[in-house]
Amino acid sequence: DKLLVVPQDGSHWLSMKEIVEHLSERGHDIVVLVPEVNLLLGESKYYRRKSFPVPYNLEELRTRYRSFGNNHFAASSPLMAPLREYRNNMIVIDMCFFSCQSLLKDSATLSFLRENQFDALFTDPAMPCGVILAEYLKLPSIYLFRGFPCSLEHIGQSPSPVSYVPRFYTKFSDHMTFPQRLANFIANILENYLYHCLYSKYEILASDLLKRDVSLPALHQNSLWLLRYDFVFEYPRPVMPNMIFIGGTNCKKKGNLSQEFEAYVNASGEHGIVVFSLGSMVSEIPEKKAMEIAEALGRIPQTLLWRYTGTRPSNLAKNTILVKWLPQNDLLGHPKARAFITHSGSHGIYEGICNGVPMVMMPLFGDQMDNAKRMETRGAGVTLNVLEMTADDLENALKTVINNKSYKENIMRLSSLHKDRPIEPLDLAVFWVEYVMRHKGAPHLRPAAHDLTWYQYHSLDVIGFLLAIVLTVVFIVYKSCAYGCRKCFGGKGRVKKSHKSKTH
Amino acid sequence: GKLLVIPIDGSHWLSMLGVIQQLQQKGHEVVVIAPEASIHIKEGSFYTMRKYPVPFQNENVTAAFVELGRSVFDQDPFLLRVVKTYNKVKRDSSMLLSGCSHLLHNAEFMASLEQSHFDALLTDPFLPCGSIVAQYLSLPAVYFLNALPCSLDLEATQCPAPLSYVPKSLSSNTDRMNFLQRVKNMIIALTENFLCRVVYSPYGSLATEILQKEVTVKDLLSPASIWLMRNDFVKDYPRPIMPNMVFIGGINCLQKKALSQEFEAYVNASGEHGIVVFSLGSMVSEIPEKKAMEIAEALGRIPQTVLWRYTGTRPSNLAKNTILVKWLPQNDLLGHPKARAFITHSGSHGIYEGICNGVPMVMMPLFGDQMDNAKRMETRGAGVTLNVLEMTADDLENALKTVINNKSYKENIMRLSSLHKDRPIEPLDLAVFWVEYVMRHKGAPHLRPAAHDLTWYQYHSLDVIGFLLAIVLTVVFIVYKSCAYGCRKCFGGKGRVKKSHKSKTH
Repeated sequence: DKLLVVPQDGSHWLSMKEIVEHLSERGHDIVVLVPEVNLLLGESKYYRRKSFPVPYNLEELRTRYRSFGNNHFAASSPLMAPLREYRNNMIVIDMCFFSCQSLLKDSATLSFLRENQFDALFTDPAMPCGVILAEYLKLPSIYLFRGFPCSLEHIGQSPSPVSYVPRFYTKFSDHMTFPQRLANFIANILENYLYHCLYSKYEILASDLLKRDVSLPALHQNSLWLLRYDFVFEYPRPVMPNMIFIGGTNCKKKGNLSQEFEAYVNASGEHGIVVFSLGSMVSEIPEKKAMEIAEALGRIPQTLLWRYTGTRPSNLAKNTILVKWLPQNDLLGHPKARAFITHSGSHGIYEGICNGVPMVMMPLFGDQMDNAKRMETRGAGVTLNVLEMTADDLENALKTVINNKSYKENIMRLSSLHKDRPIEPLDLAVFWVEYVMRHKGAPHLRPAAHDLTWYQYHSLDVIGFLLAIVLTVVFIVYKSCAYGCRKCFGGKGRVKKSHKSKTH
Repeated sequence: GKLLVIPIDGSHWLSMLGVIQQLQQKGHEVVVIAPEASIHIKEGSFYTMRKYPVPFQNENVTAAFVELGRSVFDQDPFLLRVVKTYNKVKRDSSMLLSGCSHLLHNAEFMASLEQSHFDALLTDPFLPCGSIVAQYLSLPAVYFLNALPCSLDLEATQCPAPLSYVPKSLSSNTDRMNFLQRVKNMIIALTENFLCRVVYSPYGSLATEILQKEVTVKDLLSPASIWLMRNDFVKDYPRPIMPNMVFIGGINCLQKKALSQEFEAYVNASGEHGIVVFSLGSMVSEIPEKKAMEIAEALGRIPQTVLWRYTGTRPSNLAKNTILVKWLPQNDLLGHPKARAFITHSGSHGIYEGICNGVPMVMMPLFGDQMDNAKRMETRGAGVTLNVLEMTADDLENALKTVINNKSYKENIMRLSSLHKDRPIEPLDLAVFWVEYVMRHKGAPHLRPAAHDLTWYQYHSLDVIGFLLAIVLTVVFIVYKSCAYGCRKCFGGKGRVKKSHKSKTH
């Protein structure tokens, strides 16, 4: 069958790529639609690429990503932090929009897509270009998503009581105090506003292309959502039947370590190793911060494998090895892995859970703060504020997660729950993509909620109607009683009254 | 591991059997406990049966079932029917409650259960006796159910179900409701709790006595680790679900055996027209003579061979093409390529067997969820519903001819069938997996939503809304007052003067 893939550049692509490769191995013909300028959407034997022009060059793309990554280390006041985070995200998000705009206006690419009879479309809905394309090409679609931003997967679908479903950026757990619930309630309102900021221009774009009014939630509902969720990590909440949970797909395969890394691990002795990576977005850390980190790392007996592409800190200790890239999952899977210093992106978190390695987390942006909070409340890691932490903080955090047995026990418990599943998440993902191709969608999983207006959905019209009836009945009963009373005792009463008034 | 099973007598038990058998084959020790007076629950080779004494006999249970089957054919006015049903439910449930009470007060029996050190408990929560035992023995519980009356399952799992598109059971609504249907849905939601109290609240008091702490029925049901629900969204309408619900609809469809010689012969003799399978389930043993004759007449008018599972008196006008049998291998017959239609009371088992084998249905719902099941299949164009009380021979004949000759019925049921059977893992394996999961991990606390720890007003954020409203009102009040004060200061003198002036001119 023919599958069109509309990916999202950056780390999101990594988990999608794995599913795409698996599908290709099963004999499906796959076309990946890529902007001609991109970071990770490379050539592959597993799929054909179809590129489309974009209004920026590689230089600009790299610059934008670099400044996005580096900005996380710029100090700012707590009040300005949300605004900074928003502006910083927009550096990358704006570019996605430009790319989408140029794609949807490129008639050559659009006609190529129309002529190729695809069976389904597989996309990441965070930036809804693929969502719009699926509607334009009238293709059944499958989304791969992690749940950021704006709880996109739940808007207009699953009920999300603000009383126990924490909103993004709040860093709350599912057990909230009154002030937290208050903040969550307000965050929910702000989330709607953020949704508007991020997506209303896409809706305009889509309306232009489809020549009708388009609301994104309405498009979302026709799709099947592969969510990188696992309730070992997420808090339990209402979900919908068109959601398939495949958290931990990227954890499964364990390769052998290359000679280089094997040698490092073996040389670490009884103390073992600590794996340290802040993800692909961060290429450089300000020198002062990097030196502080290097100092802390030098104070522990473990061997440190640090993925870092910036300048080598001058005070780097002997136990710390800088590498440009490291086989993160394979290293974490090694029995000598003692701790994992991570930016707590969802991929890293799942790899940590899967391999049962306690974490020291330095969340940088997006969902990472919330991810870190989740692992912290489950006693599987310690969170540090990368801007404020000192060398001592990092040293203590590392010693705590390595020496305090409870961290290891907790992460092992999570790991055993996470890995105990009836079917591997990758197989599940592949199954459902094929399912949508076979059956041309999954309309029987589409809830009828989408055909209702908001006041119908909340039964406000019904409640109003019933209330009106009750009030009418009460009113009539009251009036007739009053009338009855007047008939029976009325004369007397009125006489008395008039009598009384006369005595004045 | 060691598993304790507390089933409920009747058809519910039959679908649980497959799971128990599989668990035993995987090396688990299964102990089933049931009242001494049980009809369907019998000794089995793959589990240990332990019966406990109850203050009623086998005959009482049989009589209750027979009466239930018979009562559906009573031609009573609506209100009388409601009263009769209410009384019957009250009578039967108090009988079953007394059985539960005898179990829980049977100190010797309960002590022996305690000493067995089970790893988990599998139970059908339709009657929450197993739930009390689970709490008494502090065992993690797995529930195996279709749905609970009065949305108790939704309440106990804290699963939201917007009344605007989730039809209430017994409402005959679909997921697409017009305004009046939504009003009906709302009214049922407001009143259902009241009706259910008759059956369920005694369990709350019983549990309060046994566990020596104040418990409601919801408290009894909500600690369950996993809810194995015999639903599939091919049949049921999509709605919000919770992470600890596992959907295993169609679990009873898998096991297919070759037909016995007797039935093989019937099927082969049917020729090109094929067969129609007819069963109103195990609850109905007899149909009033007049009704039975009407049915027999209709069956005689179609060219198919009809296999009718019927234990009552043979209708005198039975045609040659109709074969009465005391029992039939329903799933195996439906799975035969010659099966053309399925006349069913639309119990959930039958419906899933119809879907699984892709046989269009003529449905005669009798009680409980059967009306809703029939409605679901009808809206999906996979069957025709008849009112068993009102239908004539012509109606039945037409319905049969429609589902057999109108190709759309076959197409629709085949589409449902292909969707239903296309799944990453067989429902039986899924059920077995989750029972084992709970045994391995002593429950699944990470799937328990935090909603359970909130009061109802916290859950709906009423306190937060009230607080915010209070703030807004206070601010508005203060702003208004200060404005008013400011205005008075600035223009006050003038205003007052004017006013006093005015009043003086009067």
